[in-house]
Amino acid sequence: MTLPQDALWYKDAIIYQVHVRTFRDGNCDGIGDFRGLAEKLDYLQELGINALWLMPFFPSPLRDDGYDIADYRSVHPSYGTLDDFKNFLVAAHERGIRVIVEMVLNHTSDQHPWFQESRSSPDNPRRDWYVWSDTDARYRGVRIIFLDTETSNWARDPVSKAYYWHRFFSHQPDLNYDNPAVREEMWSVMQFWLDMGVDGFRLDAVPYLVEREGTSCENLPETHAVLKELRGKLDKHFPGKMLLAEANQWPADLRPYFGDSDEFHMAFHFPLMPRMFMGVKLEDRKPIMDILQQTPEIPDSCQWCLFLRNHDELTLEMVTDIERDYMYDTYAGDKAMRLNLGIRRRLAPLLDNDRRRVELMTGMLMSLPGTPIIYYGDEIGMGDNVHLGDRNGVRTPMQWDGGWNAGFSSADPESLYSPLILDPVYGYPAVNVYSQNRSGHSLLAWMKRTIETRKSNQVFGRGTIEFLHPANHRVLAYVRQFKTETVLVVNNLSSSAQAVELDLKRYKGNILVEMFGRNIFPRVGDLPYLLTMGPYQFFWFRLRRI
Amino acid sequence: MTGGRLDERSVLNDDFLRQLISVGEVDLLVGVPTHNSARTIGQTVQAIRVGLLKYFPRERVVIVNADGGSKDSTREVIAAASINDPQHPSGVYALRTLHCISTVYGGEPATEIAMHTILAAAELLRAKACAIVSPETTSIAPDWIERLLRPVYRDDFDLVTPVYGRHKFDGLLLRNLVYPMTRALYAQRVREPYAVEFAFSGRLGSHLMEQQVWDHGAGGVGTEMRVTLSAMTGEYRLCQSFLGTKQHLDRGSADLVPAMRQTVGTLFWSLEPNFQLWSADRGTESVPTFGPEYELNVEPIRVNRKRLHQLFTSGVAELEPVLKSILSAQTLAEVQAIATLPEDDFRYPHELWVKTAYEFAASYHKSVINRDHIIQALAPLYRGKVYTFLLENRDASGAQVEANVEALCLTFERLKPYLLDLWNARE
Amino acid sequence: MWEMIVGELDHAIQEFARGFAHLLPRLLAMLIIALSGWAVAYVLKAALRVILRITKFDKLSDNAGATQLLNKAALPSSSELLSRVVFWVVWLGFIVLGVQVLGIVGLQEYIARFFLFLPRLFVALFIVFFGLVAASFFSRAALLAAVNAEFPSPRILATSIRTIIIVFTVSMAFEQLGLAERTILVAFAIAFGALMLGLSIAFGVGGRDLARQFLERRFLKEKEEQKQDELSPL
Repeated sequence: MTLPQDALWYKDAIIYQVHVRTFRDGNCDGIGDFRGLAEKLDYLQELGINALWLMPFFPSPLRDDGYDIADYRSVHPSYGTLDDFKNFLVAAHERGIRVIVEMVLNHTSDQHPWFQESRSSPDNPRRDWYVWSDTDARYRGVRIIFLDTETSNWARDPVSKAYYWHRFFSHQPDLNYDNPAVREEMWSVMQFWLDMGVDGFRLDAVPYLVEREGTSCENLPETHAVLKELRGKLDKHFPGKMLLAEANQWPADLRPYFGDSDEFHMAFHFPLMPRMFMGVKLEDRKPIMDILQQTPEIPDSCQWCLFLRNHDELTLEMVTDIERDYMYDTYAGDKAMRLNLGIRRRLAPLLDNDRRRVELMTGMLMSLPGTPIIYYGDEIGMGDNVHLGDRNGVRTPMQWDGGWNAGFSSADPESLYSPLILDPVYGYPAVNVYSQNRSGHSLLAWMKRTIETRKSNQVFGRGTIEFLHPANHRVLAYVRQFKTETVLVVNNLSSSAQAVELDLKRYKGNILVEMFGRNIFPRVGDLPYLLTMGPYQFFWFRLRRI
Repeated sequence: MTGGRLDERSVLNDDFLRQLISVGEVDLLVGVPTHNSARTIGQTVQAIRVGLLKYFPRERVVIVNADGGSKDSTREVIAAASINDPQHPSGVYALRTLHCISTVYGGEPATEIAMHTILAAAELLRAKACAIVSPETTSIAPDWIERLLRPVYRDDFDLVTPVYGRHKFDGLLLRNLVYPMTRALYAQRVREPYAVEFAFSGRLGSHLMEQQVWDHGAGGVGTEMRVTLSAMTGEYRLCQSFLGTKQHLDRGSADLVPAMRQTVGTLFWSLEPNFQLWSADRGTESVPTFGPEYELNVEPIRVNRKRLHQLFTSGVAELEPVLKSILSAQTLAEVQAIATLPEDDFRYPHELWVKTAYEFAASYHKSVINRDHIIQALAPLYRGKVYTFLLENRDASGAQVEANVEALCLTFERLKPYLLDLWNARE
Repeated sequence: MWEMIVGELDHAIQEFARGFAHLLPRLLAMLIIALSGWAVAYVLKAALRVILRITKFDKLSDNAGATQLLNKAALPSSSELLSRVVFWVVWLGFIVLGVQVLGIVGLQEYIARFFLFLPRLFVALFIVFFGLVAASFFSRAALLAAVNAEFPSPRILATSIRTIIIVFTVSMAFEQLGLAERTILVAFAIAFGALMLGLSIAFGVGGRDLARQFLERRFLKEKEEQKQDELSPL
C-alpha cells in the first residue's frame, strides 16, 4: 500500500499516539523498542489508524520521559538503533501509516553536549545558545508550568555560576531562539529526519520559544516569526509534510499559530477536552457548546487536533476556577490523582470503566471537527496506576494478552521499565488485545468499526459544523457538511433516556440513514424531528435526498 | 389516581409540558407568579439568576413563571432574561444551562392557579427544593434565594417562611391578628404565616398537591396561608429565614377586605378540619430562625389615623344588626361602649380584641350568616384595633413594639379555652 | 188522593233510602279515605320533619330572617311550620278526594280547581321564602360593602335594597297565586316609579353638594392621597 499523496492528508488522518518504550519489546530487555513496534504495525493497520505520533525517542537521561533530549540525531539505545528506526519507518509506510515524530524545540536536556559546552565558560561559542543571566530577576512574573516541582523559572548553575532560564524542569534549559545559530541548527535537525522519510513533527512547547522582558513570555510575535521561518523552509523543501503545534492556550490565543496558513498545519484544541468530560458529568451540553462557539475560524488548509487523553495529565489550566473545582471533585476525588492543575488518569478509569460513556466520548471525538488522536491503550480500555510518580501512571506497558508480561516483553517481569497494571478490573488478564480480538463485541472491535465508519466519509475531517439547539440541554446535536455530504450527529450526554426534538426544517425531505447499521430512519417533515435516545447513546445520520 | 391528579393535566398545557420535558429533573425550582408585572419583573428575574448562579452553581435549576395573561411586556422581559450566555453581566459564571420557562394559565389571573401550576411543575421535575418569589417585592436581592433555599436544600427543612426587616407599622393585619391567632391555636411561632416569598421541600410540595391547596371551592381562598397551615398541621419541619427589608408596590387600605379573606378567612376555615390538632392543650414552640437579628424600622411615617377611628365607629354603628348575630351580647355591648370614647382616649384592649376574634371564629364555624359576610364584618373592628396600636406605639422603639405584640400573643394563648367553650357551646 | 200521597211519600222515602243506601258506602269510603289520609299525612309530616332537621332547614331560614318574622308572629319554627302545612295540605287533599267519591256533581269542578291551585300555592310560598333569603343576604352584603368602602349612610342603602327585593318577591308571589294581579302590578309600578322619582329629586336637588362630593371623591386625586396615607395590612 502506498501513502495517499494528498497535501491535506492530515485532515483525514486518524492519529495513534504511542511511546515506543511502552508498546512492544523486541529484544527482551524489558523496554519497548522499534523492532517491537514494527512487529505490531499489523495490529495498528487492522485497527484502522493511518498516522502514528511517536513520543520522543532520542538519547536522553530520561528525567522527563524523553522530553529532555541529549542528542537530536540519534535514537536512544534502549529503543534500538537509527537503522531500526529506518526499517520501522519503511514498514509503516508500506502499511499506509504515516509517522509523526516529536520534536522538542524549546529546550534540551542539561546533559546535551550543547549545554555542557555552553555552561563551561562565558566565552564559549555556544554560550548564547541558552538563556543566561546573572540574576534571577529578569522576566519577573512569568508563570511556572510544573507547579508541583519547580519554584522558579531560573536555575542556578554551579558550573558557570550564573542562572539559566527553564520553563519546564530545571534540568531542561531553554534554547535561545534569538540566536540565529540555534534556529539554523534546529532546522538542520528537522531536515535530518525529514530526509529519512518522517511525515511530520509535533513541536513541543512552542509558545515559550522566545522571551521578552515585561511580557508573559508566551505567544510572542518573535516566537511566531521563528515558526513562520521554519514553516517556510518546510514548504519549500518538503511539501506535503505536516507541523502540529502543542500550545495549551485559549482558542483565541491559538489562532495565531495557524498564521495565514504559514505557520502550523494543525494544533491541539486543549480547552475542548476537559469540557467534554465536564459535559458528560454535568449532563449538560453547555460547556462543550460554549467553547466550540468561542473557537475562531481557522484557514482552510489548517486543522484542529482533538483528543480525549494523552501522556500528560488531563490539564485543567484552560478552565475557570468553578469548573476546575467541579472537575476535581467529580473526577479526582482522591488527591493522589491530581497533578499540576490536572488529573493524571486514563480514559477508562475517568469514565468509571463505563463502556457506554467510553463509546460516547469516542464518538464525539470522532465526529467533532478536527483530526482525532487515540492514546495507545485507550482502544482496549486500559487502566492506570496513580501511585507511579509524575505522569507515569498512564504510560504503563501495552497489554497484548493475558500471559507473560501481558505479551509486552519476554524479559523478566522485574526488568520491565514500568510495572504492569494488575488489578482485577483493569489488569492485563482482564484487559488485553488478544481477548478483545476474539470477541466481536469488545471495545476494540467497536473501535475498529467506529474508525472505519469515520473514515468512510470525509465530512468528519473536512466538513463544516453547525450546532442545533434543541430544548433538551442534555443532548448535543450538530450537523457536519462537506460538499454534498451532510451528516447529523446527536449525542445524549445524560445517564438516563431522553427525548429530543430537533429543528431540521432546513433539511426537510431528507431521509436519515444511520451510519453504523445503515438502517433508514423516518424522513424529515414539517414537524420537529423526534428522537428517543438511551443513556449515553449517540447517533450518526447521513442525510440523503432520494 | 385520585381526582386531584386528573386536574393536574388541565393546568399544564401542551407547550408548557414540552418545556418541562426538555428541562428534565432539577434540584432547585424557583416559581414566579406574574400578572402585568413588567415594571418589576426584570429586576426580580435577574436577582434570582444571580442568586442561583452564585450560591448553587452546580445544581440543576429552573425558573418557572406562571403568568395570568399579562397585557404588558412581562413575558418579553422574562424571555430576554432567560437567554443563556456564558458571561453573565454580573460576572457570575454559569457552569450549567439555567432554564427559565414560562406559561400562561387560562382563566382569571389568580395566585391559586399560578401556585397550582408551579406545584405541578415542581412535582413533575422532582425538584428537591422550591422557592416562590413575588414580583411585587422591589427589595429582592440575590442572597434572598440562598436564604430561602438553603434550609430546605441543605438542612432538610420542609417549609421556610420569611422574616423581614419591616417598618413598625407595616403588615399590621399580620401582627395584630393573623400571627397571634395562628400562633395561639397552632402552637408555632411563625411570624409571617401569609408569605409571598417562601420555600418548601419536594415532600411538602407533594402533600400540598394532594391537599389541593389552590382549590377555591373548598372555601380556603388564601393559598399562601393554606401552605403554611398545611405544613403546620402535618408532620413537617418549619423554619424562618431573615431575608431583608420588605418594600413592595403600594397597596392601600382598600385592599383590606381581600387581604382579610386570604388570611383571616383561610385561618377560620382551617379550624374545622384541624379541630383535633388545635384544640389540644400545648404551649407554643418557637421555630428555628436563620439570619441576623433585625430591628424594626421606626422612621416616622404619615398615617391617617383619624380615618381609622371614624371607620371603626361608623362600622360598629351601621353593622349592629350583623354584629348582633356574630358577637355575644356582652362583647357587643363592650365594643359599642368603646365606640363612644373620644378619639384620644380610645382604646381597644387586648382582651376584648381577642374575645372579638374568637367569637368571630366561632360564628364562622357555625355559619350563623354567610361566611364571607362574617369576614367583611370584622374589617371595621380590626381598624379600631389598628388605631389603638398606632396610638400606643406612636413613639415606641422596635423592641417596645415587639413587646406589645408579644403581650397580645400571650393574651390570645391565655384565652384559647374561651374559644373552645364557644366552639362546643352552641352545638 | 191519600194513596197518591202515601205512594209519593213511599216513593220519596224509597228514593231517599236508595239515595242513602247509595250514599252510605260512599260515605264509608270517604271516611276510610279521610282516615287513611290522616295517617299518610302524619307519616309525611314526621318524615319531612326529620328530613328538614337533617338538611338544617332551620338554619337556612335563620339566615333568611324568616325565623325572626315567624317569631314575631308567634308562629312555631319554619321546619315545624312547613311540616304542619304539609300535613294539613295532604290531609285536606285526601278529604277532598273523599268528597269527590261522594259523587256530588258540582263539587268536581271546585275540587279540580283546588288541586290546580295547590302547586301554585307552593310555588308562591317558595318564592316568598327564597325572596326573604335573598333580601336579607343582599341587604347584608350591601351593608358590609358600603361600610368597608366608606359609602355614606350604608344602613339606608341596605334597608332600601331589602325593601325592594321583598316588594318584588311579594308581587311575584301574588302574581303566581293569581290574586288581584293587575292591581298589584299597577300599584307596584306606581310605588316603584314614585320611589325612584322621589329619590332622584331628593338626590339631585337636596343632595346636590353631596352628589358633587361623591363624584369628586370617586374620580379625583383625593382618593390617591388618602391611599398613600394608608398602611399595608400584609
